[in-house]
Amino acid sequence: MKDKIIIDKISFSYINHNKEVKVFDKFSLILNNGEVTFLTGKNGSGKTTLTKLIMGIIKPTSGSIKLFGSDTSDMTLGQIGQIIGYVFQYPERQLFAPSVMEQLIFPLTFKGVSKEEAVEKAEEMIKLFQLTKVRNSYPYFLSYGEKRRLALASVLMSNPKYLILDEPTTSLDKERILVLSEVLNSLKAKKIGMLIVSHNNDFIKSHGDRIIELGGDL
Amino acid sequence: MNNLDPRTKLIIVLVLSSLGIIYSNVAILLFLLIVATVTATICKSNLKSVVFKIRKLIYTLILIALFQSLLTNKGNPIITIGSVNLLTDYGILRSLEFILRMGIIIVSAAIITTSSSREIIQGLIQWKVPYEIAFMVSIAIRFLPILRDEMTDMLIALQLRGIDFKKIKMKEKINIYKYILVPITTNSIMKAKELAAAMEMRGFRAYQSRTSYMVLKMGIRDYLVIASSIAFGIFFITFQKVYTL
Repeated sequence: MKDKIIIDKISFSYINHNKEVKVFDKFSLILNNGEVTFLTGKNGSGKTTLTKLIMGIIKPTSGSIKLFGSDTSDMTLGQIGQIIGYVFQYPERQLFAPSVMEQLIFPLTFKGVSKEEAVEKAEEMIKLFQLTKVRNSYPYFLSYGEKRRLALASVLMSNPKYLILDEPTTSLDKERILVLSEVLNSLKAKKIGMLIVSHNNDFIKSHGDRIIELGGDL
Repeated sequence: MNNLDPRTKLIIVLVLSSLGIIYSNVAILLFLLIVATVTATICKSNLKSVVFKIRKLIYTLILIALFQSLLTNKGNPIITIGSVNLLTDYGILRSLEFILRMGIIIVSAAIITTSSSREIIQGLIQWKVPYEIAFMVSIAIRFLPILRDEMTDMLIALQLRGIDFKKIKMKEKINIYKYILVPITTNSIMKAKELAAAMEMRGFRAYQSRTSYMVLKMGIRDYLVIASSIAFGIFFITFQKVYTL
């Protein structure tokens, strides 16, 4: 149980124009660490909602989600973020610092990591994700692909135990998808599990240990 | 009643909130709040949802009222520390007035929420408010929830980077908010620029006159409600003057 994410009979619904829309009804799933699970399904099937439920951004109306033995209902977002790295579907919303470098090091300095150590790690990430040219740029001015790479680099700075990536290949060219693939392979080799929302069939085929297709309409 | 013309609703709001600002008597303000609540209920305003949305503001209002009450020295003292009057009956009355006045404004503003922002803007345009100004109001109304969502998402993203807001010191918290406010302001300016470019590309202000897809028409009911609202306002002011004399 300590190496699994257990989603146990969760239900979730929201109100749209005074009508209750059921997204999940007693939905259960077990995600194993060290395994790459892909989540597919048509638009509005609840893929992003599921990732947000796992991250504790939204709460299920019933049921429980356990992250490596700990119930998310007893955890703060900060505690969940230390275990799981999450890259949003729209990465610009998770870029909040005035420069690429600060975006990478800022949270680490708050967690007591020395600035030198954080900068050293950030340099590695900048090189790995080919962000050298934009290291001092304001994140808003980056291209969409660069923003996505920066968001991924940012979450990897905290050495998460598990990764959730929401459509990571969107706006990346073939070369950058290859770079991303290499990064994912190295993470997988380190036994870091991943849940990836994607519609990219080639990407799914080359990395997926398990593919889950969500059905239904929102 | 909720399908009244938005201009009619604007007049109701204008009359009620103006009366709420003119008078400083607790009994009158309480009466006006009751009238505003009844009108909002007739207009099928979702008062519960309005109160829920501004719940954080309500705490601030209560806090302001409390401070106002504590800092007013006039009147008969209720609580004193040494020679300082901490709480007076006049102070309590002033803070009650403040809360009631804000209540009237919030409840009467809820009446207008039963019309869409597009309808309100169209109402303003048909009242000969310059289109540019009316459009600016509509953009501001539309952008506020986006700005709020953006701020919430950034705070969530920050916490998900492993920063536990409950554990960090106040000084560091302020530092974090400073970090967020800068990109939010910059992003808003950039978005405004992009929107301006998109509007220019679609020919905004290319011609002097504009036609509108939506045209509002007032019915007899609207005229009756407007006349009753204005009559109520005038009657109320006159009655109060006579009563005071």
